Amino acid sequence: MSEPAFEIGADGIDVDRIVAEIQATVEAKRARGEYADPGIARAELQNLANLKDESEFLSFYLECLRQSAFVDINDYEIVERRRAMSGVLVSFKRLIWKILKFYTYRLWSQQNQVNGLLLTAVENLDNQYRSRIKELEERVHELEGRGADSSDSV
Amino acid sequence: MSTAEHIAFICPRFAEGGTVGGAETLLRAQADHAAQAGRKVSFLTTCAKNHFTWENELPAGTRKIDDLDVTFFPVDQDRDIEAFLKTQNAISRGWSYSRDDEQVWLKNSVNSRALIEHLKEKGDQYDRIILGPYLFGLVYFAAMLDPQRTVLVPCLHDEAFAYTQSIAEMFCAAGTLMFNTRAEQDLACRLYEIAPEKCHVVGMGLDSFPSNPTATARAHGIETPYILYSGRREPLKGTPLLIEYFATFRERTAKGLHLVFTGSGPIDLSSQVEPFVTDLGFVTEQEKRDAMAGAACFCQPSVNESLSIVILEAWLAGTPCLVHARSDVMREQCRRSNGGLWFANYPEFEEALLLMLDNSKIRDALAQSGRHFVEEEYAWSTVEKRMLSALDAAPPTPHAAVS
Repeated sequence: MSEPAFEIGADGIDVDRIVAEIQATVEAKRARGEYADPGIARAELQNLANLKDESEFLSFYLECLRQSAFVDINDYEIVERRRAMSGVLVSFKRLIWKILKFYTYRLWSQQNQVNGLLLTAVENLDNQYRSRIKELEERVHELEGRGADSSDSV
Repeated sequence: MSTAEHIAFICPRFAEGGTVGGAETLLRAQADHAAQAGRKVSFLTTCAKNHFTWENELPAGTRKIDDLDVTFFPVDQDRDIEAFLKTQNAISRGWSYSRDDEQVWLKNSVNSRALIEHLKEKGDQYDRIILGPYLFGLVYFAAMLDPQRTVLVPCLHDEAFAYTQSIAEMFCAAGTLMFNTRAEQDLACRLYEIAPEKCHVVGMGLDSFPSNPTATARAHGIETPYILYSGRREPLKGTPLLIEYFATFRERTAKGLHLVFTGSGPIDLSSQVEPFVTDLGFVTEQEKRDAMAGAACFCQPSVNESLSIVILEAWLAGTPCLVHARSDVMREQCRRSNGGLWFANYPEFEEALLLMLDNSKIRDALAQSGRHFVEEEYAWSTVEKRMLSALDAAPPTPHAAVS
């Protein structure tokens, strides 16, 4: 976040201006892809109920889906919360994971395929509906124009 | 109508100790101050302490608590929970339901026949009957007994229940409405056809308090700046959102930052974030104020607020706030005070928090503006004047129409 352009004077500050600058910074960073982060998509799942009334909700939701649809189980970090013998326990868990991996991969790859197909389907539906709505809006606009012309001529 | 000499306050629970919500605290504080201003005050409430079970835990009867005569009435234990939940679900999910369904829902909400009988028999002795919050059968039926005498303190939120016909009827019928903020009043005026002259913005007062900004960090070994949340921890209050945002913030920015909670309710933490979260649980008022004074900012992620007393307390402790933009009330309070910023999504949260952590000039200016705002607008002397003026004003004839 860059330093806001205005100076804080004796009369205090203007939070509307600060928030507007924050929003502009976010837009610029979003355009540069700085928020294309699965972590944000995951965090934003808690906020979806608050975004559903926004016009850009579906776009944002799709962005979240894109970031989280393909699960990577390879980078799964194995940790141990108990302090005593944590090294041994982590090694034991890693060993179990190596054994289970073989059986889990098939499920994992199938789940990723399903996620990918669902994401593609939703994206296609979104594109189709957006084009259809745009066509209808243009048509309504054209008909309204014609109506205004004919009433002028009367 | 004459000056309100004898005032009854009605609230489903009486605020005693720290485990009650904001509405109960608000009504108790207003009652205390009305009594201190020389008005005769009777506080009518139920024997329940737990807002999940509504069991009658306290003995029924009248007791003197500080300056108040508090009468405890038993909660009806014969509610049909299934019928209540059926309509509650339909309303909250936007399914179809009728006014009759709403009445069944209200009848099977928290009620006290004993309290209603008391009002029927002895209600005439009260010049005004102040009651709230709006979302209880007890409040609805008490308000509809004598609407002209009723002063509703709704603590209204923009939620599905506010759109029901019965609730609209209660707002239209009540002689006087006392809101906590202008934004709450605007919401009510948007939802219901109510006369502007019966609306008053009152809220709750706070007086300055001493605090020690280093006490919490020292006592709990917190060596980095921290953000604070105080209050009930539950999904409706947005605490899971705050935990997720905090975890993501730490991961993305690598900033040394701690999250501190005070209040009650469970917190679900992943092992990655657990070492950076401190749950102080239920603390004394002084411990809460110290925690507020030492925080880099106070975060209020809830979108269902009609006032948020903790935000006012944080400002008074000299700490700026970060609130969810979806809450009109919180956003408006930040705007009016210039004491806080708001976020609608994670990127805005990240940028706003970075700004407060990295730019002490802006953080301090926000804190100073917030404190000044509370001292001006929410000093008890100011709030008491607003409250007594609203109570003594003659209520206009209620509108019959419901929008």
